[in-house]
Amino acid sequence: MIFSTLEHILTHISFSVVSIVITIHFLTLFLLVDEVVGLYDSSEKGMIVTFFCITGLLVTRWIYSGHFPLSDLYESLIFLSWGFSLIHMVSYLKFKKHKNNLSAITAPSAIFTQGFATSGLLTKMHQSAILAPALQSQWLMMHVSMMVLGYAALLCGSLLSVALLVITIRKAIKIIGENNNFAFSFGKIQYMNERSNVLLNTYFLSSKNYYRYQLTQQLDRWSYRIISLGFIFLTIGILSGAVWANEAWGSYWNWDPKETWAFITWTIFAIYFHTRTNTNLEGVNSALVVSMGFLIIWICYFGVNLLGIGLHSYGSFTLN
Amino acid sequence: METLLNPSKTPNLFIPKTHLFKPYFLHSNFNPQPHSSFNRRPLSITITCKVKTSQGRKNDGKNISKKIVLTDSAPELSNEEIKAKPKGGGKAWGVIKKFPKRVLAILSNLPLAIGEMFTVAGLMALGTAIDQGESPEYYFQKYPEENPIFGFFTWRWVLTLGFDHMFSSPVFLGTLILLGTSLMACTYTTQIPLVKVARRWSFLQSADSIRKQEFSDTLPQASVSDLGVILMGAGYEVFLKGPSLYAFKGLAGRFAPIGVHLAMLLIMAGGTLSATGSFRGSVTVPQGLNFVMGDVLGPTGFLSTPTEAFNTEVHVNKFYMDYYDSGEVSQFHTDLSLFDMNGKEVMRKTLSVNDPLRYGGITIYQTDWSFSALQILKDGEGPFNLAMAPLTINGDKKLFGTFLPVGDTDSSNVKGISMLARDLQSIVLYDKQGKFAGVRRPNSKLPIEIDGTKIVIVDAIGSSGLDLKTDPGVPAVYAGFGALMLTTCISYLSHAQIWALQDGTTVIVGGKTNRAKAEFPDEMNRLLDQVPEIVESSISKKPDNIGG
Repeated sequence: MIFSTLEHILTHISFSVVSIVITIHFLTLFLLVDEVVGLYDSSEKGMIVTFFCITGLLVTRWIYSGHFPLSDLYESLIFLSWGFSLIHMVSYLKFKKHKNNLSAITAPSAIFTQGFATSGLLTKMHQSAILAPALQSQWLMMHVSMMVLGYAALLCGSLLSVALLVITIRKAIKIIGENNNFAFSFGKIQYMNERSNVLLNTYFLSSKNYYRYQLTQQLDRWSYRIISLGFIFLTIGILSGAVWANEAWGSYWNWDPKETWAFITWTIFAIYFHTRTNTNLEGVNSALVVSMGFLIIWICYFGVNLLGIGLHSYGSFTLN
Repeated sequence: METLLNPSKTPNLFIPKTHLFKPYFLHSNFNPQPHSSFNRRPLSITITCKVKTSQGRKNDGKNISKKIVLTDSAPELSNEEIKAKPKGGGKAWGVIKKFPKRVLAILSNLPLAIGEMFTVAGLMALGTAIDQGESPEYYFQKYPEENPIFGFFTWRWVLTLGFDHMFSSPVFLGTLILLGTSLMACTYTTQIPLVKVARRWSFLQSADSIRKQEFSDTLPQASVSDLGVILMGAGYEVFLKGPSLYAFKGLAGRFAPIGVHLAMLLIMAGGTLSATGSFRGSVTVPQGLNFVMGDVLGPTGFLSTPTEAFNTEVHVNKFYMDYYDSGEVSQFHTDLSLFDMNGKEVMRKTLSVNDPLRYGGITIYQTDWSFSALQILKDGEGPFNLAMAPLTINGDKKLFGTFLPVGDTDSSNVKGISMLARDLQSIVLYDKQGKFAGVRRPNSKLPIEIDGTKIVIVDAIGSSGLDLKTDPGVPAVYAGFGALMLTTCISYLSHAQIWALQDGTTVIVGGKTNRAKAEFPDEMNRLLDQVPEIVESSISKKPDNIGG
């Protein structure tokens, strides 16, 4: 009894803290109170509190139900928001000096996933369920945790790339607007797409554009690093899932919808890495690939569960 | 060598990153860097670019960057870069020799590989959208010709292209094979030469080329050997030659992508072996009966050959299930004995889900269960075995039932006692009118009186659902998996290279890295801060080593 109340308390605390953090971020964004360092510090502290709350929530659930807290969709969503707050913690601890733009991505992600999990849509799943025989294995911990952490990292990186795309495209629209009398405006979009870095170079004389260039560079590099990390987790997750399937069902690859979509996700991010090797395609093109990857991750994680068929039917649910 | 604009304080040559050298229309601030040397040297501007020849790829798909050096004097004939292809003896032989090289060049083209990967991803997505393995009538109904999806997609598309068995269809397998050959070609032509290049120590002799790196800095009053010591402490491998220094770290990060490709090839080979050479079968055996492995296993491909172990007889000693307190099934277990052809017991093990039995290359998995028969005593007579039949199954929930006729068994409207069970734990009994009569557990031996008949449930006999499999490709596939995991992790490492040159009392440092571009400047600054500053009086060497 005490565990379930503790769990409830922790859920509510983390939810409210994250909403406060997001409110602070929006305030700094819209009211432009950038220089209020105290506010930024408190948002960072808020994220730390959230991280510990969600960790406590997961540990409580683990003790209470006797199995690792990753057996159905609700638990994996909580784990996903834990993954986001973990990424935020790691980047915060590593780069204490610089003001971290990453929190603008991780905090809303954490709250959206947690909010959806605790919302009324999945109420019947809040109680810890009993583990089916096929899930009673040590592999559960490794496979599912790696997959969910991989999803968290890839989603973060994808959002960073989408932000990069938004900034670049807004710049393109602005340039087109400014050079209306330029006869080959269509060719200019092409030219700019291919040499986005170079074009941004020429405008660096203006300090505002210089900062924007710095920002896009930083976003690009951050997203590359985070996506590499996510890709490693995804690879380990898929392969450990295959080995587990061989131990449990006799075949390491069954073209199950969820397996197939995980493989499609892996392929899209492999395409991303290959586009980056060729410097001509770097920048905007790779960001486009990553945006596709963002959608595909959601289809893989959520969309397949809506079908409710196949070997991964434990995660299925119906919207009621 | 590409250069980027680097935000350092020293004035810089503005070199655009171009694919083809185009006159850049905004280069009004073009300052050529004057050489800081006292020798009379012609003003040299080095512009590097990648030149695409009209013939496409002449040199095995590599893009060799050619350096164009404009000097006052006549340009020297440098024929080292422009390699003339030696003519082989005879024209026909030359054509045949060139053919594999051209095929290789086509296959290792990166956009082609990216296109193939997109195709594979698209086909897989389509394979999940279209229901697999149904009868043709199903597709006639779902994708009718009268009302095609997107205006053209009918069942003809599905059946002729093999989309109903997408993952073994020629289209899909063909794309996979193409991807595999591209992998092999790319590894051979692009990545192995990269290994040779990366391993070479390349000292940069001129201060300009060092300043052009992504990160560059100048340390006044410092010595290159101090820098070398600091770098060694930070884990770099340092090479000093006179005034110039070259250090690198994380070379494994350059080799790891090759490992990734090789691991993938291994997995594909193992998968092909599995698909063509394995045996598969499944059987539901009631408790107490046995079967021979060879009768159950069927081949899956043309390379499948049975082994001696196929003659083993499997006997199901006992099948039982564990339950949670709430009544849900927690685990099923089967106690198996294996006997060889002479009747000797060679193995005995209790299987459960996630815990298979392995013998002689054959693996037996516990995958399913069923209810075989219910053993009852009727009015003290028996025991009778009533076969249990499966009733409507809702997903994972099973329901079995049987019927004990009472009274006149020859009449057409025979009535009797029905017994239903969801698992082996408890049986629910209903009387002649179909009203609920009671619940009994098989081991309790408690009798129940229904319409004058005394029934005792003696035992619930289950049957075990077993899957058998033999797969020769598994060791290769597992090795490939392990290698893939390892090499993917290693390719996260960043390969950092640092060059330095002693120019009088100052040291010019430049560096670049291929992955961790965000953290590299910070790391470099931290290291450079540690280099000690040499006070004037302790300098004893003459300023004769001036970088040129």
